[in-house]
Amino acid sequence: MKKLLFILVLGLTFMASKCEDDSNPQGQIDMNFKASFGTEPLVMFADDYPYEDGMDVKFQLFQFYISEITLLKDLNDGTGTEILDVELVSFKDIQDAAAAEQGIDITIADIPPGEYQGIRIGLGVDPDLNKTNTGDYTPGHPLSDHYWSAALGYVFTKIEGNADLEGNGDFQEKLTFHIGTDPYFRSKTFTKPMTIEAGGIADLNFTIDLRDILVDSDGEYLDFRTTPQDHTNDADVAAFISDNLKEALKLE
Amino acid sequence: MHVKTIAIAIAIASTQCSSGPHPITITDPPGFVKMGIPEDNPLTEEGVALGRMLFYDPILSADSTIACATCHDPQLSFTDGKPLAEGIQGRKTRRSAPSLVNVGYYYKGLFWDGRVASLEEQVLMSVEDSVELGNRWEVVEERLQLHPVYPTYFEKAFGIESETEIDRYLVAKAIAQFERTLISRDSKFDLVLRGEAEFTEAEQRGWTIYFDVSDELPKSECGHCHLDPLFTNLDFFNNGIEQVAGLESFPDRGRGAVTGWKYNNGQFRTPTLRNIELTAPYMHDGRMKTLDEVLEHYISGGHFAENVNPNVRKLHFTESDKEDLTAFLKTLTDTVFIQNPAFATPFQ
Repeated sequence: MKKLLFILVLGLTFMASKCEDDSNPQGQIDMNFKASFGTEPLVMFADDYPYEDGMDVKFQLFQFYISEITLLKDLNDGTGTEILDVELVSFKDIQDAAAAEQGIDITIADIPPGEYQGIRIGLGVDPDLNKTNTGDYTPGHPLSDHYWSAALGYVFTKIEGNADLEGNGDFQEKLTFHIGTDPYFRSKTFTKPMTIEAGGIADLNFTIDLRDILVDSDGEYLDFRTTPQDHTNDADVAAFISDNLKEALKLE
Repeated sequence: MHVKTIAIAIAIASTQCSSGPHPITITDPPGFVKMGIPEDNPLTEEGVALGRMLFYDPILSADSTIACATCHDPQLSFTDGKPLAEGIQGRKTRRSAPSLVNVGYYYKGLFWDGRVASLEEQVLMSVEDSVELGNRWEVVEERLQLHPVYPTYFEKAFGIESETEIDRYLVAKAIAQFERTLISRDSKFDLVLRGEAEFTEAEQRGWTIYFDVSDELPKSECGHCHLDPLFTNLDFFNNGIEQVAGLESFPDRGRGAVTGWKYNNGQFRTPTLRNIELTAPYMHDGRMKTLDEVLEHYISGGHFAENVNPNVRKLHFTESDKEDLTAFLKTLTDTVFIQNPAFATPFQ
């Protein structure tokens, strides 16, 4: 009888603890990334876009890593809660305007409820994670691919496509920009006061204009006639793309 | 009484544990993404042994003339040396037999067009393909159920209690288990990484060209798609081998036939370069007989199409560059792998 009572108490305790877990749910953040080229939605392969100096351009791939995503309690001292270690934002499968409008969704669960002042996002793979390699991950993990063994790190950003240098419909010039290594990791803080409620969902909608990565705010641009590719061997080009990526990513 | 019953149950369970299939743990080579093994098909000694038998046994084919191994010969890094693989009665398939080296690590789809997600699905499809093994699974199941030996092996591998439980899914699981053991980790490239060997001067120069790491040497652009350590990124690309009038004109639509998106037409899975020296002829349809021919293709920049991968671009190589790149590619030959007795036919 005593044993039965003990088991009953044990069971009730377990159920109570379960109930307690259920009554203290965490929040969720739904991030969405939409890419454009100027005012047009960014569509892979099919669409072409006017570029600088009479050139036109098409894209086959645009992707970049984000890492150390941190909700900030205090914008001044940068303290906060890291909510996601790394993710790949890839527009590779955006086949039409409808898909571009839908964008790329990233859901982050288990967010501690509370008041936050903003969010910090690493652009690229942060230096600690960049010391790991594909052998540390399972298939499907963002870092199970895009590893650059010769540079002992990940390719943070890939932009691939074709340029029509003469504006005559002939997209023969091949464009490949692959940026990586720690010096080109960037971090951006967005001011965004938000309240994460228990069981609630907060939406964060990001936009990124690929044109702003290739053409900076001063009008300086990557001239595809002279620079159709870079594998982070040209420090100026790598810095240009990395800095512009930081500027181009915006939170609505 | 109650305690006694529990003790007996535990004793039975422990007996079953010791006599059941023996688990195998795969040790992934350095840098290899961890192998994704389905939860419902863990590797066991008995499962792999059964899979190996089935892989080499022509019992799976309609006329009992060919086996998986007919097109996947370990001496040729599990290819067949032919431009197009040949099924029963000499029927030609559309494509060449892909190498199975490290195939357990392929997680972006199998076959040249990625139309199935797992090795198990691949087996299920190949047995009934009219130009491969050309059989019907009902026939295979009956043959195996009535076989004097196989029911015992299935019992050991999967714990079945009756031969009537032998079905296509267990066959697929067993072969997939065997295929997941086909790991190449002992090429000279691997030995150099482990500090157990050194590249020659030519191989080192070829490595530098392969991975585009020097501004002093030409870039080959190989490493974008043929990423180490698998020497494939497992993705699908048009590498410009086909001269076509437009995206609808590819004689073999490849990935496009799977996705239905015209920009995927003419795309095929990047093949591994491990044991590339042994797997001629090359490309999805075996159109190129030699490595030299392959290099010449990439040096030319290939034919234009809207969806040719931009990493395929005109290269500027000297004869010496070609020779050194080839020397590096040959360091990917793994003779330990092809001579591994565990991968050879069990029927000798």
